[in-house]
Amino acid sequence: MKLYKKEGNAIYVLSFPNETVEKGDYLLVEDDEARRALIAQVIDVQFAAVPGVLEELLRSLPDGGELLQGEDVDPLEIAPHITYIQDASVLICKIRATVENDSLSPSSSWLPSRSQSTIKKLPISTLLKLAKISGKLPIVLGAMKDSSLLTIDASSLDGRLNIITGKKETGKSHLSKLLMINLLGYKATVVVFDLNGEYLSLGITSDGKRNINHDKIHVLTPSQNFKVALKQLSLHVLLGILVHALHLPGTSAREFRRIWKELKQRDSLTLHELGEAIRNWNCNQQVRDALFSRYHTLVNSGFFTDNVAEAALLEESLLKAREEGGAIVINLRNTSTIDRQIVVEHILGRLVESLTNWKLKAVFLFAEEAHLYLRETYWDDIVTRMRHFGIFTTFITNQPDTIRENIYRQADNIFLFNFTNEHDLDVVSRASRVDAETVRSIARDLPPHNCLVLGKVVRDFPIVANIKAMDVKTMGETRLFFG
Amino acid sequence: MDTTLPHQFTRLSLYSLGRGHNHYFQQKEQLIQQVSTEETVQTLRLKLEPMLLKPRHEQTVVAAVDTSTMKIAETSTGIVIAVRGANVWKQRENYRYTRIGPFIFQVTEENKREVYNALERAYLTSAREPGHQSAPSLLQMPTRIANLLERWLQAMLAKTLNNGLILFDGSLTAGTADTPTRRMKEILKDGRERGNAILAFSKMTNLRVNGSLITDLAFEQRPPYLVETIGLRLKPPMVPLGEVYVAKLSSGNCAFRLDIDAEVPHELRVEAVERLLGNDLVSQSYPETLRLAHILCTFTANEVLAMQHFITRKCGLQIINRPDMHKLLFGPFGKGES
Repeated sequence: MKLYKKEGNAIYVLSFPNETVEKGDYLLVEDDEARRALIAQVIDVQFAAVPGVLEELLRSLPDGGELLQGEDVDPLEIAPHITYIQDASVLICKIRATVENDSLSPSSSWLPSRSQSTIKKLPISTLLKLAKISGKLPIVLGAMKDSSLLTIDASSLDGRLNIITGKKETGKSHLSKLLMINLLGYKATVVVFDLNGEYLSLGITSDGKRNINHDKIHVLTPSQNFKVALKQLSLHVLLGILVHALHLPGTSAREFRRIWKELKQRDSLTLHELGEAIRNWNCNQQVRDALFSRYHTLVNSGFFTDNVAEAALLEESLLKAREEGGAIVINLRNTSTIDRQIVVEHILGRLVESLTNWKLKAVFLFAEEAHLYLRETYWDDIVTRMRHFGIFTTFITNQPDTIRENIYRQADNIFLFNFTNEHDLDVVSRASRVDAETVRSIARDLPPHNCLVLGKVVRDFPIVANIKAMDVKTMGETRLFFG
Repeated sequence: MDTTLPHQFTRLSLYSLGRGHNHYFQQKEQLIQQVSTEETVQTLRLKLEPMLLKPRHEQTVVAAVDTSTMKIAETSTGIVIAVRGANVWKQRENYRYTRIGPFIFQVTEENKREVYNALERAYLTSAREPGHQSAPSLLQMPTRIANLLERWLQAMLAKTLNNGLILFDGSLTAGTADTPTRRMKEILKDGRERGNAILAFSKMTNLRVNGSLITDLAFEQRPPYLVETIGLRLKPPMVPLGEVYVAKLSSGNCAFRLDIDAEVPHELRVEAVERLLGNDLVSQSYPETLRLAHILCTFTANEVLAMQHFITRKCGLQIINRPDMHKLLFGPFGKGES
């Protein structure tokens, strides 16, 4: 390989057919005289602009598009040299770091010698060691192209905002399950908004037996085993539900606050008493109507109860998770849009409450297709305010444009599966942890179950890994008519 | 088929390159065009009435020969040249080819006589003709070596094809250093004996009538047609071995000088062109078989790079970049040496 040119933070390397380099591979450009080396990643492979190739190709197809038949007597065996030159390729690489005295720096401000520097493939295992990517809390994500394992440090997910995205059936949920199970192994508290019931069987192996995480998986199905008593709720949380999920106007919200305070003073926070209070409250008829319609929505959701014993599961699960680690799977399957929003508002409000009171240390929140239940204002809240409380979110989506641009900008880690749609790639390429060309070029060619890992977990060295399989019962498969 | 010449080409190629071991060379590509050097006595005329042609479709094999040569580098003691030749033939609806080469020679003042004479001797074992050629100058070597290969390819076709049409690139003028009369006569005779007609198409000619090139003269007839020339006399020792025609074989602007073996009767010469029209594609008055032969032997830039790669890797010649004096002295006004 030979260094051809440098433009910005991209270098172009001339490579010959006997040097097998592919997209995603890392190269080490060593300049012995400068005692430094560049680490660059191949983001695209193109044919070298060898002069005369067009003539060569045209010459072989002069007969109406069919190959001209014949014999070449080539006693000096020049033909292999012709193919060698013709098949030369240019590797477009992005500079990722400089190695100097065995330490890495992100600098790309120097230029290695074009004539003297040597270029070789950098095994990813060596890169991982150089970049000190695996830490004290290893999570094996899967195998890389050279069959070595990509191991990240669980602490690099701690306090971070993560995005898992890719088109359908590429393995997003599988990766989020893998991350969750590994976090459970380190006694973390995990909350999942499970839209399709995919995470319900995390505690069961593929042959239906209980696995080691069985007792750590707490499945909460709203209106069934997961209910809430008004007495457990703070006014703040319930107002959140009424205003944000049920769009209660400001004037009505003020009246509700008064009603709530009075019921609380009387220690009568029950659904029946709340209904009666609204009926008898001295207020404008329109306000009463607004309050009544929301009240009936709450009652009809089946999510609220007056029986405190029925409403203890979330508290219990969080308590267990705090001690031994655990995943609270909120099963939102078969839940209507409004009810889903009520549940999510409630959970987030309760989590913030518990975290503020230090009942919980921190929570890893996994949110699948969050645009279906997360209100507009929560996006910013989650990436800024809630992060400080200790809610570390992982968004999982196959529609990257449903996540706002500022979320991509602030994402610490992105796990990117295959996308072929230009628009989707454009959206993801706005992430600040990596350049747009890398995302566009590598993500387009990723095979299923292969993930381009970007961000702090890989110390900003984009790495492709084939996500490892897990012995977990598969759920959430699409129901088929013909299948 | 006598393969002494190609074997000798290979042997001498390797031998000459081997002698350059650890020598330095400068990359320098220069396509060498073989130009006609005929000098005519001004007696040439054209018959006023063109002969209209009708394509004859009886199955006839059309075969063509062409060679190409190129200077690919300069060494401190000489030049490195590449030579390649191609035979193309059309049988029924299919074109097939045999391409021979490239052969690469390092020619120096020291070895040019040795190289050329060895090739000549190899050719003469099949041509049964006493060698009398002196070694050409260094500058003439590429064309002379290519000519040797071309004559050998032509001879092979003339000796192996039966009742076909053999197309040459150039003219049937003999008596030049490149084309000794006896050698060309022998090729024509071998061809005739096997019922072949030999037709030579010149892309460029310097034959003129009343000051105009014969190929530029316009006739009102619709092509295809031939215009006969009368009174062609060349300065000795050059001898025209063919009858010269202006051939306009299809519509378009192009017409070519066409030489047809003069020993073939006039009717058979015309019939040969008509069989060509009936058996080959003719575009811009030029036969496809000959066009393919030219295309197949021409060196592309990619091949030049590959040959330079070969001589560096296999023969140990080192590339040096000697400054281009034109560029050095005249800056942007220097257009390069070649």
